[in-house]
Amino acid sequence: MNVIELNNLTKMYGKARGITEVSFHVEEGEIFGFIGPNGAGKSTTIRLLLSLIYPTSGSATIFGKDVVKHAPEIKKEIGYLPSEVFYYDNMKVIDLLKYSASFYKKDCAKKIKELAEMMELDLTRKIDDLSLGNKKKVGIVQGLLHEPKLIILDEPTSGLDPLMQQRFFELLENENQKGATILFSSHILSEVQRLCDRVAIIKEGKIVQVEKIRTLKENNYKKFKIETVSKVPDELFSRLPGVNQLEVKGKTISFIFRGNINHIMQKIAGIEIANLWVEEPDLEEIFMHFYQREA
Amino acid sequence: MNIMIREMKANLKSLLIWSIGVLAMVIAGMGKYAGMKGTGQTMNELMAEMPKSLQAIMGTSGFDLATALGFYGLLYLYLIVMASIHAVMLGANIIAKEERDKTAEFLLVKPVSRAKVISMKLLTALIHIVLFNLVTLLSSIIMVERFAEAETVTDGLLLLMSGMFILQLIFLLLGSVVAAVYRKSKKASVISTGIMLVLFILSILINMTEKIEMLKYITPFKYFEAATILNNGKLEPVFLFLSVFLILAFTTLTYRFYQKKDLNL
Repeated sequence: MNVIELNNLTKMYGKARGITEVSFHVEEGEIFGFIGPNGAGKSTTIRLLLSLIYPTSGSATIFGKDVVKHAPEIKKEIGYLPSEVFYYDNMKVIDLLKYSASFYKKDCAKKIKELAEMMELDLTRKIDDLSLGNKKKVGIVQGLLHEPKLIILDEPTSGLDPLMQQRFFELLENENQKGATILFSSHILSEVQRLCDRVAIIKEGKIVQVEKIRTLKENNYKKFKIETVSKVPDELFSRLPGVNQLEVKGKTISFIFRGNINHIMQKIAGIEIANLWVEEPDLEEIFMHFYQREA
Repeated sequence: MNIMIREMKANLKSLLIWSIGVLAMVIAGMGKYAGMKGTGQTMNELMAEMPKSLQAIMGTSGFDLATALGFYGLLYLYLIVMASIHAVMLGANIIAKEERDKTAEFLLVKPVSRAKVISMKLLTALIHIVLFNLVTLLSSIIMVERFAEAETVTDGLLLLMSGMFILQLIFLLLGSVVAAVYRKSKKASVISTGIMLVLFILSILINMTEKIEMLKYITPFKYFEAATILNNGKLEPVFLFLSVFLILAFTTLTYRFYQKKDLNL
């Protein structure tokens, strides 16, 4: 079953682009990454899903129900962590969490305590006095306290120190094992690489690609680094199809290659080399390719 | 219910400050009457000699300033301006603040419809303007009774306060409409207060020149004037009808626009 489904979802802000004909789906039990540079349309897409804003055309469903028509019902089972956390002034953490819990017809007291302990969050402090990272923790507890079936996270790790990030990821993995589906938006690829099953890459409001993390990595991208004995002309590799992110520094040439490995090997065999490295690129390097392609 | 409790708390401080303000206004205003009481009829004569435009600005035309209730009629103008400012700001802020403070990303992600959010907020605001009105009514009754001689004042005061309540409702909803329609939530309160002040100035201009008398249907400040209410002993049906129309229209517009609005976060 698909928990989230987007069909040609489009949002225009007047004439300015929001997102254009975005389609993808998130399956039940999946951790789905939503990747793109800042301003690509990640938050717009998420706000459309939460019906904070409404689509210009196209549609989206969550749990098989239209997000605009059935918004209040759908939201019973959604936990959302916004990228920037703002809360009512003059409230203590526990007051805010209780207020949040009061919207769900469940007893959330135990879960609040459990989450706060795990994230080392002091419930008696005033929210105004909290640091950015601690506010983020309030957001995390607030988003998870009703044990939602779908967790939507918009750039969730900003402001969290590495240790807390680690805890938070464990928490998410835990929730996922208990059956929660997770939509995880980020521009930091390593965290997505670690956590997600599949990713959608968005760029300038359009989906560039939806792929399994594993496929992305296995897609025969190779990272080459060659040290030559004498300087060779730049054009030697730049003309070759499948070569990306070519960098030449003196006698060192590096690039990412996707395609038939024999072609590149023949090319290399033609020059005298001092040293050669062929490595698996990490996701970041693969994605740079998507980011830059049209730049 | 939870939203109402939250809003009651959030607006309590402002209600307290406004209530103290209106209380001080009533006490100080009627205190002035105590000071002038000895001079009796001369006050009326003095006022009558003033140019009509000045009378219009001070809102003194058509009162018997020698009586406590007549003098209170003068004060009433200032009271309804206060009540209107309070109401319009409350209406605008209670709706706009979720966007302004970016808490909409919290509240509107909860399993509540926007219609329900609006209802809860407007209900809370309604309670607040009722409380404001009650504070004004009770303090007025106490203060005017103190200085009144043979006259009965409570009926007149009740009428005046029901007029004020209708004005409060109109301006509360004016504020909420502006907040629901206008994209920039930070300015909702400024804009709606601005509209209110323009309407108030218009009402003074109408008092000054009879040529634009027809415009009295546009500004709610002309709907319930103390002199007319006290002399006729009732609220004007035309204006009552207009008020009901405005209240219904503003309420509908608030719901309609807010439900369709793209939240600006």
